[in-house]
Formats: sequence, structure tokens, C-alpha cells
Amino acid sequence: MPVASVVFALAIGAIFVLLSGHDPIAAYIDLFRGAFGSPYDITETLIQTIPLVLAGLAVAVAFRTGLFNIGAESQLLIGAVAAGAVGARFADLPGFVLFPMVLAAGIGAGAGWAAIAGYLKAARGVNEVITTIMQNYIVVFVMHWLLQNGPMTAPNALGTPASAPIGAGAVLPIIIPNELVPLTRLHAGIFLAIAAVVVFWFLLWRTPLGYELRAVGLGARAAAQAGIDPRTRTVIAMAIAGGFAGLAGMIQVTGVFHRVFDGFSSGYGFDAIAVALLGKNSPIGIALAALLFGAFARGGSIMQANAGVSAQLVSVIEAVVLFVIAAELIVRVLTARRERKPLEAIA
Amino acid sequence: MIDPRPERARTAGATAVGTERVPLLQMHGIRKRFGDLQALDGVDLVVNEGEIHALVGENGAGKTTLMNVLYGLYRPDSGTIRYRGRDVRISGPRDAITLGIGMIHQHFMLVSPLTVAENVVLGDERGGPVLDDRAIEKRVRELEERFAIAVEPGARVEDIPLGLQQRVEILKVLYRGSDLLIFDEPTAVLTPQEVDELFAIVRTLRDEGKTLILITHKLREVMAVTDRVTVLRGGRNAGELVTKQTTPAAIARAMVGREMKQLKARATPPRTEVILDVRGLEALSDRGSPALRGIDFEIRSGEILGIAGVGGNGQSELAQCLLGLRKVAAGTIRIGGIDISRDDPKRTRARGVAYVPEDRRIEGLVLAFTVADDFILGKQDRPPYAMNGVLDPAAILKAGGRLAVEYDVRPPNPRAIVANLSGGNQQKVVLGRELSERPKLIVVSQPTRGLDIAATEYVHERLLEQRGQGAAILLVSSELDEIRALSDRIAVMFEGRIVAVLDAASATEERLGLLMAGHTEAAA
Amino acid sequence: MTVDQLIGAGVLAATLRLATPILLAALGGVVSERAGVVNIALEGCMLVGAFFGVVAADQSHSVVVALVAAMAVGAGLAAIHAVAAIHLRSDQIVSGMALNILALGLTSYLDYQFYGTTGTPSDLAGVPDIEIAPLAAVPFIGDVIAHQNAIVWAGLALVVLIQVFLFRTVPGLRLRAVGEHPRAAETVGIAVRQTRYWAVIASGMLAALGGAYLSLSVAHSFTDGMTGGRGFIGLAAMIFGRWTPVGALVASLIFGYGTALSFSLQGASIGDVRVPVQLLSTLPYVLTILAVAGFVGRSRPPAADGIPYETEGHA
Repeated sequence: MPVASVVFALAIGAIFVLLSGHDPIAAYIDLFRGAFGSPYDITETLIQTIPLVLAGLAVAVAFRTGLFNIGAESQLLIGAVAAGAVGARFADLPGFVLFPMVLAAGIGAGAGWAAIAGYLKAARGVNEVITTIMQNYIVVFVMHWLLQNGPMTAPNALGTPASAPIGAGAVLPIIIPNELVPLTRLHAGIFLAIAAVVVFWFLLWRTPLGYELRAVGLGARAAAQAGIDPRTRTVIAMAIAGGFAGLAGMIQVTGVFHRVFDGFSSGYGFDAIAVALLGKNSPIGIALAALLFGAFARGGSIMQANAGVSAQLVSVIEAVVLFVIAAELIVRVLTARRERKPLEAIA
Repeated sequence: MIDPRPERARTAGATAVGTERVPLLQMHGIRKRFGDLQALDGVDLVVNEGEIHALVGENGAGKTTLMNVLYGLYRPDSGTIRYRGRDVRISGPRDAITLGIGMIHQHFMLVSPLTVAENVVLGDERGGPVLDDRAIEKRVRELEERFAIAVEPGARVEDIPLGLQQRVEILKVLYRGSDLLIFDEPTAVLTPQEVDELFAIVRTLRDEGKTLILITHKLREVMAVTDRVTVLRGGRNAGELVTKQTTPAAIARAMVGREMKQLKARATPPRTEVILDVRGLEALSDRGSPALRGIDFEIRSGEILGIAGVGGNGQSELAQCLLGLRKVAAGTIRIGGIDISRDDPKRTRARGVAYVPEDRRIEGLVLAFTVADDFILGKQDRPPYAMNGVLDPAAILKAGGRLAVEYDVRPPNPRAIVANLSGGNQQKVVLGRELSERPKLIVVSQPTRGLDIAATEYVHERLLEQRGQGAAILLVSSELDEIRALSDRIAVMFEGRIVAVLDAASATEERLGLLMAGHTEAAA
Repeated sequence: MTVDQLIGAGVLAATLRLATPILLAALGGVVSERAGVVNIALEGCMLVGAFFGVVAADQSHSVVVALVAAMAVGAGLAAIHAVAAIHLRSDQIVSGMALNILALGLTSYLDYQFYGTTGTPSDLAGVPDIEIAPLAAVPFIGDVIAHQNAIVWAGLALVVLIQVFLFRTVPGLRLRAVGEHPRAAETVGIAVRQTRYWAVIASGMLAALGGAYLSLSVAHSFTDGMTGGRGFIGLAAMIFGRWTPVGALVASLIFGYGTALSFSLQGASIGDVRVPVQLLSTLPYVLTILAVAGFVGRSRPPAADGIPYETEGHA
């Protein structure tokens, strides 16, 4: 079914391309070639995939606990800001000290920020959808303040609002030598991402806490009477989710940009919702879905440059995928969870 | 009975088809399937005009499904319906209402924040687009007087008690001029005295020319007020009887297909140690009103204390307080001498308390989990299911398989998804989880609701078995038969208090009924 | 920082202007949720209303056509959400979010395709302001309300209309019944699905009107994502206002005031310290969280809100 929805979405996208007077086949070929055409392209796709995987895990952990984490974007950004701030402030420290600090800052900031939404839900019943959406906008403005002639601003050659660069000790090294793939930017963050996927799987299916999160997500009242308090699990789940997203932000800073600048996330947090759903909130699925969307992101910019078709087409395709997935996938979940089957109406 | 109203042009039962009296309703060969389940398999029903007709059967026999077909909520896969001698197609409630068929549902179809009058006229407001409250209330009052049914038209439905809410349901149906009234399990939430009041209304309706179908599984009521009985079993006809010419035992035999098992006489083990001691327990309901107003009782080892009472008098809140699911406002709950009233469910359960909640699908089980996973709900961090903080799936499956066999879950497959099991098997999963570790106190709420006879007997046997092993059991049930069969002592709850505690032997149905309705007994 | 910056006529006039899009979204939310459907796609409906209003204004040079087009597209997007939520019984929040992402992507895509990098034309037909001459002379009050846009007044009128509709008419009674207890409504012959479809479509039109206000009355242009979360703030205003139109108005005014303040205090300082402008811009969003956290316990939504309704054997 996920495959079918992707195909359907591509078809819809093709219609849009046609309607605006361009050739869909050429556009899609450009899209594909941009993503996988050469080793360099593949590494670029992977660079896009890494934050998507992590943000997808952030959304999925929450989904598994019955929560909608629409705030992966802000959790990612806040992790990036924290990582960038710590990395720049302590730039002279050696790598084995600085890197763990930066790592902890990124994960911790994301976790803390998300935990606020979790706490509000647990303690006051606030819908986490509204909270996390509001948090997204708050972080955007806070970043404006920080980076536009604000506390974190530093002069740089590009003239864009940005922070000071992080210390060399915090930088994630490029893992493929220049001789093999010239100019590649693929960094060690890919190992962190793979590790995160494993952690996700292990946490949810091999630890008691993971069992509890799933129980709360699938049957909160039954879990509560069995001694699993949904309120504490809500906060924990959001914190874990925020940690994954914060890690994504931290990796973007330490692996790709080496500093924080205003507007540097291309909406990974929102794509993450589609990634999580398309991947059915499971580890392999999320990895594959993230790869698909990473390919779209990379290929999309090439497609815009070559075929003149707006890269936003990719957003359209993604949204259609999300929509179709949402409709049929949730129907199936609801069928398993439905409280009132026709059978119960029989007396 | 001749109805003087001209809008329903008819003579007393005779139609143009010869001089033979044609039944008001003839349903023939009705079939209805839900997925795997053949809920109705060629069912016939014949109801004569002006009679009170009982439709009986166990849970799952098809009674409500058949009536939902008649009322247009379901469409039959095959079969015919003839009303007043003419074939009709009922594709929705509007069609049924137009024909003159009305339904009083088991779970009331009332919109809580709206007033009684608004609920009565909803869908058939008869006026312009603007709401005219006074005109509506006037019309409702007229109906009340005509049929001697008293409710306050301006009151909000959410503010009036269940017994009165049922009358609103009845008024709804009468307002639309229904001639055939279907009552679905009307006495489920009523005390014995309220049941008598309902039957008075029922007889008045019959005298006013209405025809009534009563869906019920309570034989005493069938004998008390009906003319004819149709029995369903497993989606098929199992008998048509004339009430005056039959007996409850005969009806029961038709319902069940065999003689009901008599509960074996049980040995009374010596009762000594007090397991549960509750003093001065007070708590609030979800709406903030007092639900428990000072509860005192104790249960000893090897004893079953039944809590009788009409639903909504504090029984659910009592069970929740015992488990730590509801805040205790005042008072103490002691298990083996230790006060647990401030403990959360995890701590409480660690003291040896087990809970079989009243809604197994939402409170008792995670439906999407496997059988094995539901067996360990609450125990997931303990060996052998988890060692050193890591779950052991093999151990979980193994334990699940063992428990499934021991507690007769069918099929005994630990990997099966609980949502796909029948109600009885789901309840067995709950029992397996709760009873398998020799609990000291078992809090049980409506344990056999929605279960067929075989499953009910199984649940009762396991509970008695635990009793024999020395467990103290608190049994909350709205089925008086169940309470009287299982309990050693019976406490009656009314409006948040225990109004009496009786020995099972002296707890007659009449005495219980009076107590449940709030009548206090003079000191003996 | 001065008193005038806090409660001057300018700030209050701005409050009305800024509250209007939130109010329209909130009214849409009220109508939809009173019928039992959570329309979290209001943000998307607003955005498509903003964009297609501009496109229609550009093509037709007529304000009326532009507004009708905007509301039609908003209705269309909402109809898709309605199908998913009512007919396909999807989780209403997920399908709504999908539509928001779709709206964002689609409007950005088409904006690029139609107007490239130069942006939308600057000579768009705009919705006129309504000048109330006699009031204009009144000090203070005149400055606040005598020069407001037509849509601002439309919003206020809609508050009254929808309040009356919901609580004093028969169709409104039925709609509320559908949102509280759809099965009960069905048993008396009310068409639950149909009622919900109309409610959701109406909510989309209201939100789209709010979006058109942003693009045709305020900015006279379209920029990607210009709704900036106002659809969601509208939902918060709905919750804050206890799912009533009048309550939504009060809440929208409060949120509008927060934004007006953040503009009014730009460049202001308390003593020596500059008021950080960008942080002020977070005010509406923070207020929303506080509002939802502080009051949601006391009001409750319609009982069947957000729960897909399962009928069987019906079209």
C-alpha cells in the first residue's frame, strides 16, 4: 500500500507538471538523476536523508505512544542552535571533550523543548498538536532574534545572518576520501543516524519502557489500570522524540554547515511526518521512506535548475503521499482499535 | 383496540386481504452477516396488532440486530418485511418512522446538553427554521399528560437520572405517532420498583392501541407483562410461545438449547483474616459531585462480597478508588493492615490486588497487542519477561502459550491479536493475567457482561476457585442473579453509600430491590 | 514605552485588523467542530484562499470574483478533508495536516510557476475599506473603527449570524446534535454525513475568506506561507472561546491585541533596554499556548468531536 500511494502521488505530480506546460517525463528523469545519477549525487541524497531519518524517528516515537509530534522541526532547530552555541563558545576545546558536549547539547535541547509539550499534555490535557505547532513558530522567531544582529550573530563571508563557526573538535569528518568521490560532503553523521535507528528499534521492542510506550499508545486506559501511568510516559516519549530531532539538528550543524544560520532547515520536521507514516512508524520503513524523501529533496533542486519545474512540486508529491497514507493506514489502525464493532451491537 | 385518530386509517387489525386477521408485522427469512459472523440466519418474526411481544435470547443471539434491521439502522442481506400486509423496504430510520415504527434504545439516543423537549422533537421540529422553545415545550407537555409519563421538558438531559431519561426516549417515539414500539433491554438500568413503573407505562400504551416488542433476556419480565414470545438462538428461530401457556424453564431451554448448569454447592471455608478494610471512604465523580459519601466495609479471606445496586450509584468509583485509579478524598483503604489509599495502581497491585474491569475492551486489554503481550501487561519489567532491563520475547511467548492453555483461551495461540478474539476469550485473557499469581484481593466489575452462557459459567468457576484458595473478592455486578449466586454477603449501594449489608441467605430479590431504590429498612 | 503604545487608538484599530483572520478561522473551526469534525486543515484553506484570491483578482480585476474564487477553493480543500474524515474515516488530525502541507507546497509551487521570482503583481484589485463618515469625527472611537476594511465588518456580522444559527434555529440544533451524539441524530432521521460535509465545507469557506483578507485587503500580494499559523491560532481561539462564535470573537481580539502590541512596541525600550522585536513576535504563539493550557480543562468540546462516525448499510 505505501508503494501504491507513492506511485499515485507521482502521477498526480505529473499532472501538475503537464498543466504548467512542462514535460513530466523529463522532469522526473531529472529528479531521479539528480538523486542517484552519480556517486556524488548519491552522497548528496544521503546527506538529505540523514536528518529525515532522525526527524522521522522523532515523529514515530511519539506516534507509537499515541501522540502527534508536529514539532520535530522546532526540536531540530533548537538542537541545532544549542549545538552551534556550545560548539562556538568552547571552540578551542579538543575533540574528545567538545564533541560529547555538543552532542549532549543538541540532544538535550531538543528533548527539553519537546518535553514541555509532553508535560502540558500530561498535566493539563493540552492537545500536543496545538502546542507543538505554536512551538514551531516560536523557535523561528527566536532564531531571528538570535541570528539577526542578536546574541549569536557573527560576521561571515556570505553576509547571511549566521553564528560563529563551531570548533574543529566538534566537526563530523567527511567519511569518503576525495579521491573516491570528489567534493563529497558525506559525513560521519550517517553512522549516528544508523545507530539511532537501531536504538529506536531496541527501545520500543526490547525494553520494558518501550513496551509501556506502545501500551499507552494502543490502550492508554488499560495501561493505566495495569500500573503504567500514561502521563509520565507521555513526557518521556516526547523527550525521547525531541532528543532524536535535536540530534538531527546537531548533525546538520556539525556535519554540513559547521555553524547555525537563519533559515537553515528546509522543513525536515514536516517531511518527517510523512516519513514516519509512510514508514509505518517502524525502523526499516522509516529508513526507506527517509531515503525516498531525501532523493526527492536532492533531485528536486536539480529538477528545478534543469527542467524549470519548481522544486515545490516535491512538496506537492509529498503531501499527496501523506494524504493517501493517512487515509488508508489510519483506517486500518482504527479498525483494530475501534471500540464499537457491529458485533457488540448484537444482543 | 380501535384507535380513534383518523390519520392512521385502519380497522381493528383487519385489512383488505379477506376477513383473516393479518398480523401487524411479518419479518421473513432475514439474513445479516458482519464479516465472519452470520448474525441472522433466516429469522422469522410475526407480531400481532395490540400485543406485547417478547423477543428473547442470549447475548449474541441476534435480537438487537433483528430490530435494527426493522428500524432501518441495518439493511438485511436477504429476507422480506411486511407491515400491515404490504411489503415494505426500510432503508433508514426515516422510513421506519414514517411507517409508524419507533425504537427505545438500550443505550439512550439522547443528546446530553440539549433539553428534554429539544430531544423529543429533534428531527421533526414542525415549525419554521427558528427554534420556538415555548411551543415545543407545550407540545411535549401535552404528550406527557396523554400517556401519563412525567418529565420536566425544560430540563437538560444530562441533569436528569437514567430512569427519567428512558421516559424521554419513550416520549420521542410517541411524539412521532408510532404504533409499533420496540424496547431494547429496557430494564437494564432500572431498580425492581422502576421496572414496575415501566411496565405500568407499557400496559397503558397497549391500552391506547400500541403494539410493543420487548427485547430482553430477563424471563421474569417476559412472564409478567407479555402476550407472546419469540426465542432466538445463534441467529436462528428457536421457538414461538404463548406466554400464558409456557414457563420460564421452557423459555430458558429454548434460549440455551440445553439445561442450565446448576452452580455446585460450595464448601464454606473458615473465614478469619481480614484482607480488605475500608473506612470512611469518600471520593468525587468525574463531574465533581460526591460519588462516595463514606463507605465502610471489610472482606475476609475466602469471601466474596457482592456489591448490588443500579449502575451509577458509586460502584465504578469504588472499584477505581481501590485500585488507585481515582483520588481518595477522605478515608482509608487497608490491605493486610497497610493503608493504600494514596497509592498509585502500580503500588497497589504490588500488594496483591487484581482487577477485572467492567469494560474489558478499553480498560482490561490493549486490543492491538498479541495475547502474550496482554498477559504481561503491568509485569513487563519483571523476570522472566525482562532481565537486566531487556525484554525476553521468547520467555514472553512461552508464558503466554502456557497461560492461554491454562485459561482455556481459544485458540490458545499466544501470537493471536486480542482484538480478533471473541468476548469470552478476551475475558479469559484478562482472567489469566489477573488471577495467575494468587492475588490476595480481586476487584471484579461486571465480569460477564456481554458473554454467552458457557463463558459466564467459566468466569464464575474461576472466581469460586480463587475464593476457595483464600482470595478476598469484591464483586460489582448489575445482574442480581450473578450477585446472589456468587456472594457470601451482599452490600447494597445507593447514592454513594452502603445502605445495608446482608447475608446471601437473607437477601431476597424483593429486599434487595427496595434497598437498591433507596428504601431504608427499619432496624431489625 | 508609552501608554499610547499600549492602548492607543492605533493599537486598538490594529487589534481589529489583526484579529479578523484569526476570527474567521475560529468561526470555521466552531462550525466544523460543533458538527463533530476537527478541521485542522483550516490553515491550508486560509492559504489557498489567500493565493487563489490573488490569482483571481489578477485575472478578473474584480474583487467579487476574487473573493468568490478564494472561498470556492477553500471549500474544495475542505471538501477533500471532509471526504477523508467522514467517508474514509481517517484520523482527522493526520489527514488535516496532510492538506496543510499540500496547501503550502501547492501554493508555493504555483506561485513560482505563475509569477516566478518577480512575485505577484502590485496592481491587484483589493477589498475596499468602509469609511463611516459620521463616526470618523468622533475622537478615539472614530480612529479605531471608522476606517476598517469591509471584511472586518463581515467578520463581525458573521459572529452574530453564526451564533444565532447554532443556538436559535432548527438546522443549528440538528448540527449540534450531530456533533454531540451522531447516532442519536441518525436514529431520528438526521443525515449525519451530509450535515458534516456542509459544516466542513462552510468552515473551509470561512477560513479562505480570512486568507483572502490577508492577501487582498492587507498585503495586496501573496508570499509563500503568508498565513503564518493564523489558522492554528484560530483553532486555539475556538477552544479558548468554548466553541461559541462570541467566545471566538473575544479570544481573537485578545490574540490580535498581542500581535498589535508586538508591532506597536517595536523600537520601544523600557529604560535602557531595547524591547527585542522578534521575541515580541512570538507573543501570539506563547499566548495561545498559555490560553490552551490554562483554560482547556474547564470547557469541553462537542462530545463526538474528532471521532469518525461509523454507519452501516447507508449511502
